[in-house]
Amino acid sequence: MSSTSRARLGEEVWKLRTDKINAELVTLTYGSVVAQLCKDLDGDYAEVNKQLDKMGYNIGLRLIEDFLAKSNMQQKCANFRDTADVISKVGFKMFLNITPTIVNWSSDNKQFSLLFDENPLADFVELPDDGKAQSDLWYSNMLCGVIRGALEMVQMSVDAHFVSDVLRGNDTTEMRINLIRYIEDEMPQDDE
Amino acid sequence: MFLFRLRSSRVFSLAVTMVVYAVLILNKAGGLIYQRDFNPGLQKLSSNDYLILAGTFHGVHAITSQISPTNETSSSGLEVLESENFVMRCFQTLTGTKFLIFAEPRQQNLDVVVRRVYELYADYVMKNPFYQIEMPIRSEGFDRHLTSYIKPHQ
Amino acid sequence: MNRDPSPFRTASTASTATSPTPKYANLTASTNLRYSLTRKSIYDRHLNRTKTSELSKSAFAFLFGEMVQYAQKKVYGVQDLEKKLNLHGYAVGQRFLELLLWRDGRTAKRETRILGILQFISHQLYRAIFQKQADTLEKVRENEDEYMISDNDPVVNTYISVPKEMSQLNCGAFIAGIIEAVLDGHCFPAKVTAHTAPNEMWPGRTVFLIKFEPEVLEREALRVGS
Repeated sequence: MSSTSRARLGEEVWKLRTDKINAELVTLTYGSVVAQLCKDLDGDYAEVNKQLDKMGYNIGLRLIEDFLAKSNMQQKCANFRDTADVISKVGFKMFLNITPTIVNWSSDNKQFSLLFDENPLADFVELPDDGKAQSDLWYSNMLCGVIRGALEMVQMSVDAHFVSDVLRGNDTTEMRINLIRYIEDEMPQDDE
Repeated sequence: MFLFRLRSSRVFSLAVTMVVYAVLILNKAGGLIYQRDFNPGLQKLSSNDYLILAGTFHGVHAITSQISPTNETSSSGLEVLESENFVMRCFQTLTGTKFLIFAEPRQQNLDVVVRRVYELYADYVMKNPFYQIEMPIRSEGFDRHLTSYIKPHQ
Repeated sequence: MNRDPSPFRTASTASTATSPTPKYANLTASTNLRYSLTRKSIYDRHLNRTKTSELSKSAFAFLFGEMVQYAQKKVYGVQDLEKKLNLHGYAVGQRFLELLLWRDGRTAKRETRILGILQFISHQLYRAIFQKQADTLEKVRENEDEYMISDNDPVVNTYISVPKEMSQLNCGAFIAGIIEAVLDGHCFPAKVTAHTAPNEMWPGRTVFLIKFEPEVLEREALRVGS
């Protein structure tokens, strides 16, 4: 499948096969979740990041089925470059109606970045002015977990983390995704 | 007498009225997480036998996906199983979950049915916060939507 | 309203939206926050930008589900869980109300009567958030201070099947929280709870029971008298 046809698939799934909901409801609900974590974890933003990632991971394990069922993808991606393309053009498109740009491939084709021009989770958001949130909190960290969880279910172990965020005063919002390894399938897997 | 068919030799014909006997769902490890009869036609098994059936099928499926007679490096494994009394369609998702549909023989558009069942699973099982993944499915919403999808096909 | 504001305001308030000359926001505001020089800050973006935006209902369902699961780990029993969901809804409701009234601009009306505010909730608010109106609005006959708003198929519950051992639970408590925030915001303090009330057609039908504080009824009585 070519990159163009993936873009078309993403567009088609979004338009024809996706039930929609008010975007602001999602944005504000996400905000409420992050705010609750900041409260529960007493402003320990490193812990908040971890918890957001964990919640995202749990979502990813489930969301992958929705992704596969709605996109009707039945073939594994031939390589990690294809995977990146599918994540951006079909995955992000169908859930958040955005298509982050893929940049900065490593020479071994195992690492790339997603640049978020738009981030619906962060509309309306300004981080707390407490002298540490802007250096410690990755507000949208749930997205990293989602990608990690979803890819694990299709036999890819990855690391995903943000390296910049406009909410921190950076000029870009960038997530780095790193393929650790392909998980051998069919063989019984170790329970975690 | 069984007939194994791999994806390449799929036969198309006009849809006739459809009778689905049962739907089974197997988790990645071959554990049976859902079993439901929709129409009479299949033998009733004890719950233990269903588990054995699931485990056995899981094993057979793994073997068939490794002994593809063609030179392709990977095979989807067993997808259709037919006898004079029933046809079974297996759909394995990329995550390793298997959906098995048992229906009257010579049903040809079971592909469509199995895809729809997968969608319902994504909606009413995966999005239900009270469902623990890989565990047996107890979801009133899934049952309800599955019934209303499969029953009108009689 | 003994509720703490969230640790950080997701600045959707009218006051910040209309703050003057956003260009200098980072210089004039008493803030130590860093702002990107090349990107628009929230003060530069129009608040109506996302008014008609849509996301997938799936994305919401997964987020909401995880919120429920997280809340569930930290509670004792169904009531406690509903309380948590109510608080989440409350935070969302406060912000939605601000957005809604700001968008109404000069036509925004301050509701001063019980019926008026309930109609605002079941029509305008419901339409803005859920793209539909609530299905019914009724007074509870036996109790002077109670009203009911019903929703045949609350959007938050579409994919949720509550296990038998928790049959009292209705995750619509989240929407109850939204309603409560809007009532509070209009100075109609009330308790709002969500109850499952299925019928033949709608297995997920939910009734939001609104119980006003006594002062609301006292005020209403005075107004009727005048």
